[in-house]
Amino acid sequence: MIPGNKNNRDGLIFSLPFLIVFTLFMIYPLMYGLYISFFKYNILGSSTFIGIKNYISMFHDSKFYSSLWHTLEFVLITTPVLLALGFLMALYVNSKSPFRKAGENIFFVPYIFSMTVVSTLWAWLMQKQYGLFNHVIVSLGGKPVGWLTDPKWAMWSVCIATFWWTAGFNMILMSAGIRQISKEIYESAEMDGASYRQQVTKITIPLLMPTISLCLILQVIASFNVFGQVFVMTGGGPYGTTRVLIQYVYETGFQYFKMGYSAAMSYVLFIIILVSSLLLNKLGGKYDNQ
Amino acid sequence: MTTSRNSAGRILLRIFELFILAVWVFPFLWMVLTSLHLEDEVVAKTFHFFPQHPTLANYIKAFTSTYILNWLLNSIVIAGLTMVMTLIVDAPIAYAFAKIKFKGRNILFWMVMAGMMVPFQVLIIPLYLQFNSYGLINNFMAAVLPRVSLPIGIFILKQFFEGIPDALEESAFIDGANRFKIFRSIILPLGSSALATVTILSFINSWNDFLWPLIVLNDTEKYTITVGIANFQGSHGTQYALILAGAVIASVPQFIFYVIFRKQIVESIALSGIKG
Amino acid sequence: MKTKKLLAMLLAASLATFSVGAQAQPETAAAKGPRVVTFWSLFTGGDGEFFDAIIDKFNATHTDIQMKTDTVKFDNYYTKLTAALAAGTAPDMVVIHQANLRNYVPNGQLLALDGYLSSMNAPLDDFVAAPLNACKTDGKLYALPLDVHPLIMYANTDLMKKAGITELPKTMDELLSDAKAIEATGNMGIACDNTTAVYKAYTLTRLFFSMIYQQGGTFLTADNSKANFNNEYGIKALTALQDMVNEGVTPKGLDYDTSVNTFKLGEAGFHFNGVWATGTFESAQDLHFTAVPLPGLLGKPAAWTGSHTLAIPADKASDPQLVKDTLDCMLWITAHGEMWAKAGHIPTRTSVQESEAFKAMPYRSGYAAAAASTVAPPDTAAWNEIYGTISDLLEYAVANNTDPKTALASMEKKINEIIATY
Repeated sequence: MIPGNKNNRDGLIFSLPFLIVFTLFMIYPLMYGLYISFFKYNILGSSTFIGIKNYISMFHDSKFYSSLWHTLEFVLITTPVLLALGFLMALYVNSKSPFRKAGENIFFVPYIFSMTVVSTLWAWLMQKQYGLFNHVIVSLGGKPVGWLTDPKWAMWSVCIATFWWTAGFNMILMSAGIRQISKEIYESAEMDGASYRQQVTKITIPLLMPTISLCLILQVIASFNVFGQVFVMTGGGPYGTTRVLIQYVYETGFQYFKMGYSAAMSYVLFIIILVSSLLLNKLGGKYDNQ
Repeated sequence: MTTSRNSAGRILLRIFELFILAVWVFPFLWMVLTSLHLEDEVVAKTFHFFPQHPTLANYIKAFTSTYILNWLLNSIVIAGLTMVMTLIVDAPIAYAFAKIKFKGRNILFWMVMAGMMVPFQVLIIPLYLQFNSYGLINNFMAAVLPRVSLPIGIFILKQFFEGIPDALEESAFIDGANRFKIFRSIILPLGSSALATVTILSFINSWNDFLWPLIVLNDTEKYTITVGIANFQGSHGTQYALILAGAVIASVPQFIFYVIFRKQIVESIALSGIKG
Repeated sequence: MKTKKLLAMLLAASLATFSVGAQAQPETAAAKGPRVVTFWSLFTGGDGEFFDAIIDKFNATHTDIQMKTDTVKFDNYYTKLTAALAAGTAPDMVVIHQANLRNYVPNGQLLALDGYLSSMNAPLDDFVAAPLNACKTDGKLYALPLDVHPLIMYANTDLMKKAGITELPKTMDELLSDAKAIEATGNMGIACDNTTAVYKAYTLTRLFFSMIYQQGGTFLTADNSKANFNNEYGIKALTALQDMVNEGVTPKGLDYDTSVNTFKLGEAGFHFNGVWATGTFESAQDLHFTAVPLPGLLGKPAAWTGSHTLAIPADKASDPQLVKDTLDCMLWITAHGEMWAKAGHIPTRTSVQESEAFKAMPYRSGYAAAAASTVAPPDTAAWNEIYGTISDLLEYAVANNTDPKTALASMEKKINEIIATY
């Protein structure tokens, strides 16, 4: 575009620092992981090439299916809720409420805490016997809830902690989007007598679609990678009903020493995430304004 | 749900807002409150919302019987190095994506984005062996390097740089500047708010990283705070007051960082060209 | 303006970090000082404090050797250890659960200690035979046992009195009826965790495992190639676990922390746990309890046991002096087992078990006898996965009150599948 500059050369030079880092610490280990996945791989001893056997075993492994399902369950619950929460929060911090600044801080701050801190805190709040939630429920005359120990609740409990933790990030992205919408559109709508609800549904949401579709993809990727909260809060329990795929990958690889199998499963997860994101991107493509 | 002109409705709405805000901030307060309890009061026959004997014992224990100050310093060093290197590595390529039409640009961009989708578990063993062969195990750089490519950061920067008018670059070029000069003297200064955002995200990510630093940093003195406080969790039973005191300590620097950069975070993402 | 300030801050930050980073590089240049033995431990929480005290004492009483420990939370310890062994960066001494030795010994990761120990005239005959033999593979010793920590029974003596119980229960029937008597006083009969929350419900597995052996059975077949619990023994054991919930003496969905704390607060009559809980219970005010070897609830006494062992990575063989120093540390630590016994664990040296210091400690000498009837997990690399899987399946069977026959059949199928993959 700028005459006299060589685009290909400059593109390469500007990409170079990144390319070096990316090749060394992403492409190379990724390829090595792929290589491992074709072996009965023992990191401490000898390894045997077994072709695609690891991939075949997966199809007979009920634990693989159940873990994959729990991951999907987590994605399906958290994605819509976190998008909706993020959107509502973004609307709120862009409203005329006197507390909107406080809201912005309060909603975002949990995001800066580490997974360990958030999970430990929520495991404590939800502890069946001594946790605060059940103290409140019991003092109101209810029966204690097995937040982390009842299979009906456990996954939701992990999700609730996740809502608190990460909704603020979506809020920031969506709030940024909302602030890009020109004030005049709202002003003229108001002059035409449009209610707040109409402004939101007719102006904000349609114009925010590109941001929402970006948030959607980021959220799906993040949710598929869920592990830490589950590991700390429920340990995958009760009886494996919250064990997510990455936890199973971790267990097979590092506790059961089946690293080939572990690598193969994480590759399958990678492909699933990649395909889902591509599909979502295609669906969201009509909003893409690049 | 109209913006009600009737004031009773408005007051109710404000009360509702305050309630929601209180709910959201509450877990954090509970963490602090619990950490001020004696361990025996936390798990006791009778429930006390406020500590009966407010105590700093858990904090004193954390500071005197662990390396928590080392851990805090290590985290600051590691997160600091990570954020500086993230900018060095990610800003140029984001500029290239935004402004330079070079061969393979789209493929490269999608590769970067795909990098975001790789479950980290699959990388751990290869990365560990790799860092070992460089002799970097137990070195802070091992905790830093795999974290400096931040796809979301590249994305934010790219979006922002795209929003900088081409005309600025072109006129600079006419004045005799080359691309490197343009990058340095126009793009980077104009993009400072987006750079701040990426800095902050990279700091938060690095600070909160757990499994990788645990594995590459051997000495207890070299742990990051996130790794270090995990050791507060007993192998046979949880001391809630102590572990939450650790959690509070681990979160304070993060919180200060947030307060300092709060404006940049909120405003810069808003400016970073995520278009509505 | 804002930009400049920000850039300046970043620059300052980066300079500061680089300079601090440079200081943080490995030092250990002081070659003239004492020789250092590095050690990774997995003892956190209460255990960790007792263990650190041992190390501190070692360092205070030695001038030639100093020990330096790094602690890793149990969940992630083996991940880190495995990576370090693979890369040859493991410390001089490592702690490994006896059941996990099988993952490292066959791959040649650990040093056979026999030659070194005999040249040092190490008092191997002072070690209790069972835990020492558990550290051997093909007749070679790969680790020294630091402790044994069997499953035992805790009983609240105040509540027993209140419920009119004069003798500790010896059979499952007695246990259940005593527990009911305690329920009648408004307390929990048996605190036995049966669900996973922050901790996995391993107590179920440990009890089930013990009960199989109490009846004369084995968990796996003799060659460790198949499950061996889908039979009468298994049915009786699983039924016993389910009865605790069905008879209303153990709440459904009891997690580990609650189980321990209920007993600690004096609100439960009986409690099953490893010996490691003793230290916690002792520190509780107003709790009067006794700790005894696990009774032979379904037959003769037999109890699951674990054992922490100390081992040396194989690549340290290149430095005989270091190996000798490390062994000195290991022998010193085991010889001071009474300090470690404060955490509740049973020492592995006869001299310690017979020492006045140990005998004077409450509870320990009582249940130290349990060591005679303990059963270590089967010696197979598949054990970790079996243990984790069985634990989930038992939890499921208890929570849903599954027909024992059906439950055991599916457990057997699952375990056989797992073994086949190793």
